[in-house]
Amino acid sequence: MQAPHKEHLYKLLVIGDLGVGKTSIIKRYVHQNFSSHYRATIGVDFALKVLHWDPETVVRLQLWDIAGQERFGNMTRVYYREAMGAFIVFDVTRPATFEAVAKWKNDLDSKLTLPNGKPVSVVLLANKCDQGKDVLVNNGLKMDQFCKEHGFVGWFETSAKENINIDEASRCLVKHILANECDLIETIEPDIVKPHLTSPKVVSCSGCAKS
Amino acid sequence: MEYEDKAGRPSRPPSPKQNVRKNLDFEPLSTTALILEDRPANLPAKPAEEAQKHRQQYEEMVVQAKKRELKEAQRRKKQLEERCKVEESIGNAVLTWNNEILPNWETMWCSKKVRDLWWQGIPPSVRGKVWSLAIGNELNITHELFDICLARAKERWRSLSTGGSEVENEDAGFSAADREASLELIKLDISRTFPNLCIFQQGGPYHDMLHSILGAYTCYRPDVGYVQGMSFIAAVLILNLDTADAFIAFSNLLNKPCQMAFFRVDHGLMLTYFAAFEVFFEENLPKLFAHFKKNNLTADIYLIDWIFTLYSKSLPLDLACRIWDVFCRDGEEFLFRTALGILKLFEDILTRMDFIHSAQFLTRLPEDLPADEVFAAISTVQMQSRNKKWAQVLSALQKDSREMEKGSPSLRH
Repeated sequence: MQAPHKEHLYKLLVIGDLGVGKTSIIKRYVHQNFSSHYRATIGVDFALKVLHWDPETVVRLQLWDIAGQERFGNMTRVYYREAMGAFIVFDVTRPATFEAVAKWKNDLDSKLTLPNGKPVSVVLLANKCDQGKDVLVNNGLKMDQFCKEHGFVGWFETSAKENINIDEASRCLVKHILANECDLIETIEPDIVKPHLTSPKVVSCSGCAKS
Repeated sequence: MEYEDKAGRPSRPPSPKQNVRKNLDFEPLSTTALILEDRPANLPAKPAEEAQKHRQQYEEMVVQAKKRELKEAQRRKKQLEERCKVEESIGNAVLTWNNEILPNWETMWCSKKVRDLWWQGIPPSVRGKVWSLAIGNELNITHELFDICLARAKERWRSLSTGGSEVENEDAGFSAADREASLELIKLDISRTFPNLCIFQQGGPYHDMLHSILGAYTCYRPDVGYVQGMSFIAAVLILNLDTADAFIAFSNLLNKPCQMAFFRVDHGLMLTYFAAFEVFFEENLPKLFAHFKKNNLTADIYLIDWIFTLYSKSLPLDLACRIWDVFCRDGEEFLFRTALGILKLFEDILTRMDFIHSAQFLTRLPEDLPADEVFAAISTVQMQSRNKKWAQVLSALQKDSREMEKGSPSLRH
């Protein structure tokens, strides 16, 4: 007999400056391919990724690929609503896109919080690392420091073109979301039974067990 | 039954058991290359009745293949005839546009005959001219003005590429260097404009034209600047007009109320447009409207892309051009009517989809949408709601939202 499945549906945002490779990352992640011929995203695009997290858990990720032009901010920030996590992407070959990262993060935190008031989990992606121009992130310690200061749960050098670290980054984000959800259950229902006991509700939070 | 496709392969050396197949008197068909083979020499021969049965089956197959060939030939002939007919009617339409309509534009353009011909699609050779005339030049832009704006843009690009690095390293290049950023964004977006056509990319034949028009526009309208979506509109115009005329059409087109609302990202006004759209959506497709409502699929999710790029990104290019044809004839109302036509065309599929699948579907429409079906669907859309036309519904909503000042009109529906 198969164990009963626990399904999670998470809305994830993919944000960052124009042309940093948000759409490419999603295409690589969901469709396992890459093309240098993507059209600019206007408004928002969508993708769905199903993860078989562990034998009992299926995670469905609803990816919201949001247009990067700053001008669209007013229009696209309504799409932040109810998201459980986000990737903020920058292009390692364009320093200005890294400078914008903090702005994207602040904007996100000011408009979106989890039901318990905490900020959502955000992973930082240093994309196009295949281009060999990653002067920005070759100082890992500095990046770690940056992430700590700005409240990112982690950062990855990624390449949609070479398929580097995208699955890893997603796993990191999902792990934190699952863990957050356990916290949420605990804060909302403080009397909840602890994980090692036999409450089915808590056992289903595999993120807690893992992290 | 043994047969094989031998196309392009040399025939095998004759088998010693020739007798089994000696009364084989069909010609193998060129397209199907069906050949009845006996068993290889190293295997026992087939019994006579089996061989007979196989021969019969084989004959049937050949007859079927011949039938198919005939049918295919007929289909091709019909296709050719249809193509000739289409070409002839395009040829006739070109003559009508060139000899009758264009010389008498002012008096003729709103006649029923012209409007009907217009709906069929403007022949590509006169499309640019018709668009230019229909869009007009309210802004009185001259070729000289274009040259001036272009020269200014080039000046900026030069200063950006020489002294640009200092600007870039300055703190927070957002509001301060916004205009310069516009020029930077243009560069990024050009390569992402119809990438599969490979004509606007660096080194492509239309790259410089697209660059020029967008750059000149940011100098002509620094208050608007470059906004994503513009590159698609300029590209479609470039495919149909000379650079300076494309610029004139571009600037005037963007100056239309609906386009101004969107490209200035006037959020309140955009919401009013969405609300007006929803009035007609509910009127025309109540079932789908309710389904979307239930799934929280709001109109902005798909309309933003469609309206910003005037469908040039989401529909096949030839179909998009036909939408532009009628948009030039009917104005902004047709953009929303087209949206309803698309929704109508896919109503059955969409009512069976959940939020994410509908959103995915609408933001990435099938690539092979047939123009005739889309136009047939659009033609059934009524732009009339309780005796009110698009413009009336829109202005009533605008008035409401001005009075309510803050409240989002879409919430009241």
